[in-house]
Amino acid sequence: MKWLWKWFTDRWPYYQLRDLFLKEDIPGGASFAYTLGTSLITIFILQAVSGVLQLFYYVPTVDHAYDSVSYLRTEVPFGWLVHNMHYWGAQAMVLLVALHMMRVYIWGSYKKTPLTWFFGIGLVLTVMAISFTGAPLIWDQAGYWAGEVGSSIAGEVPVVGNLMKIILRGGQEMGQLALSRFFVFHIGIFVPLLALLIGAHMASFRTSGVGGSWDEEKRRLPGPLWPDQIFKDMVTASVVFFCLITLSVFSPVPFAGSADTLNISYVPKPEWNFLFVYQALKYFPGPLEPIGAAGIPAVFVLLLIIVPLVDRNPERNPFRRPVAMACLVVYAGGVLALTIIGYLSPGFAQIPATKETKPAEQAAVAPQVSPEVKKGEELFRSSGCLNCHKVHGEGGSVGPELAGPTLKGKDRQWLMEQITNSRAHFPKGGPTTSMTAFTNLSKEQLDDIVSYLMSLAGSAVAAETPSGVEKKPSAEEIDKGKQVFQANGCSGCHKVNGQGGSIGPELSGGTLIGKSRQWLADQVTNPKSHNPNSIMPAFTNLSKDQLGNLVSYLMSLTGGTGMQQVPAPKGRKTQGQEEKAAASPEATSSPGVPSEEKALEELAGKAAFIIGSAENGADLFKEQCASCHGADGKGGIPNPGSDDGTVPPLNPIDRALYNADPKVFAATIDKIIQHGSMPSGPHPALHMPAWGDTRSLTQEEISNLEAYIMKLNGVDRGEILNPGIRPQTFFFIVAGLYLLVILIQGGIRIKKKIP
Amino acid sequence: MQTNPLPEKNEQSMAERRSFLKWMIGVLSAMIGLVMGIPYIRTVINSAPLRKLSYVEVGDINSLSIGQPQDLKFQARVTDAYLRQEVTRSVWAIKHSPDEVTIFSPICTHLGCHYKWNPQSRHFECPCHGSVFTIDGKVIGGPAPRPLDTLPHKIENGKIYVEWERFQVGISEKVRV
Repeated sequence: MKWLWKWFTDRWPYYQLRDLFLKEDIPGGASFAYTLGTSLITIFILQAVSGVLQLFYYVPTVDHAYDSVSYLRTEVPFGWLVHNMHYWGAQAMVLLVALHMMRVYIWGSYKKTPLTWFFGIGLVLTVMAISFTGAPLIWDQAGYWAGEVGSSIAGEVPVVGNLMKIILRGGQEMGQLALSRFFVFHIGIFVPLLALLIGAHMASFRTSGVGGSWDEEKRRLPGPLWPDQIFKDMVTASVVFFCLITLSVFSPVPFAGSADTLNISYVPKPEWNFLFVYQALKYFPGPLEPIGAAGIPAVFVLLLIIVPLVDRNPERNPFRRPVAMACLVVYAGGVLALTIIGYLSPGFAQIPATKETKPAEQAAVAPQVSPEVKKGEELFRSSGCLNCHKVHGEGGSVGPELAGPTLKGKDRQWLMEQITNSRAHFPKGGPTTSMTAFTNLSKEQLDDIVSYLMSLAGSAVAAETPSGVEKKPSAEEIDKGKQVFQANGCSGCHKVNGQGGSIGPELSGGTLIGKSRQWLADQVTNPKSHNPNSIMPAFTNLSKDQLGNLVSYLMSLTGGTGMQQVPAPKGRKTQGQEEKAAASPEATSSPGVPSEEKALEELAGKAAFIIGSAENGADLFKEQCASCHGADGKGGIPNPGSDDGTVPPLNPIDRALYNADPKVFAATIDKIIQHGSMPSGPHPALHMPAWGDTRSLTQEEISNLEAYIMKLNGVDRGEILNPGIRPQTFFFIVAGLYLLVILIQGGIRIKKKIP
Repeated sequence: MQTNPLPEKNEQSMAERRSFLKWMIGVLSAMIGLVMGIPYIRTVINSAPLRKLSYVEVGDINSLSIGQPQDLKFQARVTDAYLRQEVTRSVWAIKHSPDEVTIFSPICTHLGCHYKWNPQSRHFECPCHGSVFTIDGKVIGGPAPRPLDTLPHKIENGKIYVEWERFQVGISEKVRV
């Protein structure tokens, strides 16, 4: 054997290469502080391996990318491990690269080796680029939007922006060509670039040496890289590896649902490592945005580049470099603060969402508001004040809540000053303010906003109600009425504020303007009294109070919008109405459809084969399904005229539909969601609409709903069908192995007295 | 091999020859690089042309209420580079009178997210970065650089037909892509 080795090494520079990599003395000896770099290389290798393994299954096409990843995760032995390790490895890489850079900065190593530092900046940027191009590859909601918005931001950069966007997307749209490109950039360009830069980074400290300890005394006692330092490196890498396994087992990546531009219940937000850019961009509104898009990343990178150029002080001990350490705190603290603010920022969609929870209250209050206050409120909202301030619990948390006691006792002059020059109220030396000086507002605008703010503090006298309206129902009554509305499944047929069924007319907006309380009460209890052909069920089950509250709620829906009156809904036909009109037992079997198509229709739709997001499904369920199936699918909503008398609950679901196999379960309920169904009974008031056939929901949305409904019944749509070894079991095997190694090496150390 | 009578001169000419060779190596590499580089780069900097969808039926004007924006979904066969597929799209329709309607592209002019209608404030609001638009599409808040994009449409026999187009986001002019 020895001769073979000699034969090989005589002909190949093994020893030279080994020495090039490993023969190095570290001034001051080995330390755990220096182990992050090797951990990064370890993760890089792990990422390359898990990445290639994913390529055995992944296809970069918009119609199959998501499903191919789902297949890998659920049906390939250890596919779950491969995918989760790749995901968590990517997160760890971004985190460790930042920590590594901070370590080098604190130790002042860049002073010895500036070129190594510059290669390091290149590595940070390449890691970020790999992270950015990796997320869209799954083509799920999270990745799709990260790619869409991220590349649009790149497109805003002055001069070269559009070119960058075209290179990244292969066009203007986020379609197939964009996915192909994200894929190629991720694996074919940035990964080789990263490997090259790692090589350059390491080669450069072969010539300029490693930083080592900052202590001159210690530096006189160098220690070898091999094996002293590499051993410590390996220990850290093993700990990191164990963390990755733990996260992969106990915190697997959730299924975010297939990419779907039409599902607006999803709020896009960037990955955590880009949140600081996202947040910083918010401070560059309107025409300034392109400057921010180019400027923010440029500033962050530039600050890193100038570090070794500006800091010429040979001192490396961090305790004697207060300015440098202060800079680090400001820089790292800034990134961290922006990330946290960005993370906590409400995601603007939640602003209207909170509003929707109390429309009745607002509608009731609206007419009493004077025009200035109203204008002021509009300005307040449009000027972005809510980004920082809360009003009645809605808005950002950078500044104080403005409703309630905060502004009590402040006069108009004080408020005006606060808006235009907030610093005037914060004397030097005391607490500071970060509030923008809104000097762009005209005198009138300022007046209106101040009026609005005064109204919030309750110190302004509200203008008299303009007209002698009859007794105003209280907000409480309206709220109760809303509950009655929800509990009786009204939104199964009627839309309110765009949400609900489309069998009957929309009730918010102008539809009910001009109707009296009596008319409404009659309509609810005896719809045929107004229209003999009405298919609306008569809700005779309501108590007098309930009816009164419901009518108050309905009246509130018309309130104060000043809309034109539209013709009475009579005779208006919606798609849903047509469907309902034709709803008779044979209608569900679609007469007139050729038999071949009919056979196809009976199959489950595309949604049955997509692993949806149960989380988004829960949101969709609240919007679309809860009105009939009850909150959390508990059922109990009356369905007069049906044999059951109520809409069937989904939690728990009918045993005939249930199946422990997620694929079968999904396909079974999919048929009903796609094509609808008619309950048995003489004249059921409610029936299941064909959500898929009428395209009221997209296939992706249906897949999310299915995941949620299955979750309610204890079945995980993303269940790992073929795990190889079950994740938990796998974890305990790995943990046991680690324990064994620790014990054995401890034993050997004690026995052989190894220091 | 012949012995050379004038070694110095030969050395000098050899040096000249070598520097010429080095120069030639550079020229040849540059030539290959250029000849390949320009067309190769051109393949990457390519914007796939977007085919305009000729008028597609999106809904019935009688199903809309005046002054009430409605999200109309429609199905269309589109060609995405080489993929021909059926996709669902949506547009916002606002009816002004029985035969007048405005159609907005559902894409926020800021960074391409899909905005929503907020019935309380009667504004369109984008969930991504908080742009706010009036019912006429005017920007009244947030970072959006231009009003909502209207789409060409026509009404025939009560049916609304829309020509689906996309416009560049993030800029103040409405430029078709």
